[in-house]
Amino acid sequence: MARKSRQVETRMIAEYLKANYPAFPQILNVPLGPVSEDLMRQEGYKRAIGMARPFRPMADALVILPNYFLLVEAKVWNVVNGLAKLPLYKSLVPHTPELKAYFPREVIMQLVVAWTNPSLEIMAREAGVSLKVYRPPWIEEVAESMHKYWTKEYRERRESVMKMREIVGLE
Amino acid sequence: MVLQNYVELSDGVPARMHFYDHAIVRKTITDPTTGKPSARNALVFDCDQVNGQEVETKFSTMSEKLAGLFQPYLADKSYVNYEFVVTASGEGFRRTFTLQAIPKR
Repeated sequence: MARKSRQVETRMIAEYLKANYPAFPQILNVPLGPVSEDLMRQEGYKRAIGMARPFRPMADALVILPNYFLLVEAKVWNVVNGLAKLPLYKSLVPHTPELKAYFPREVIMQLVVAWTNPSLEIMAREAGVSLKVYRPPWIEEVAESMHKYWTKEYRERRESVMKMREIVGLE
Repeated sequence: MVLQNYVELSDGVPARMHFYDHAIVRKTITDPTTGKPSARNALVFDCDQVNGQEVETKFSTMSEKLAGLFQPYLADKSYVNYEFVVTASGEGFRRTFTLQAIPKR
């Protein structure tokens, strides 16, 4: 069966950071929040961090700037989700043991979106989040295909492409 | 210099690496769920440093998500200007990766 998923937001955040903050250390998919000190005592620091990983929230990225942590979420769809998460994630940064070496630093929040709108700008301002628009041509193509996704013509064309890929043995 | 075929990631343990070349290669694997062979693309880096030690080895991943995080560094091979810390966590479909990109001084 051919693969159907696309890592749109993964590519978006990685490209955006590389283009805008190439000179600074950056962490992608960064787990946030405390790890039980009891667990650290029992299992050791590294093992406790690993064991706690599935239960910790994960931000898209954190850039370590000289005086700040830049906490970044990237969203193509569900942009309000990204915006809502940022202040909550921010509250966890000072409690994240992996970042201790970089304390103290203030946290600034940034939401990277492909499109913005007046409501989003108002909400971002209110939440103390800066909005950045990053829209390379490939994102426009993805959005266009999403808009067409449920049309009859697109479904038929897609099914015939998938069938052809199976016939010729492409994964 | 340490010789080893591939860098193995242990669950939750970060590996700090420097890459000097890469390739995307087609690999046939046995699907752990179905037991049938399946062809996948793998992103393979040539690696000359792991956790501060000089080595001659490779780092390979079939995770599309991890490859996606490396994607902006591939076209211009700008990964040579960085060290990457990769931390894997979880198994199977729940495996996640944290990638830290540290500019080389």
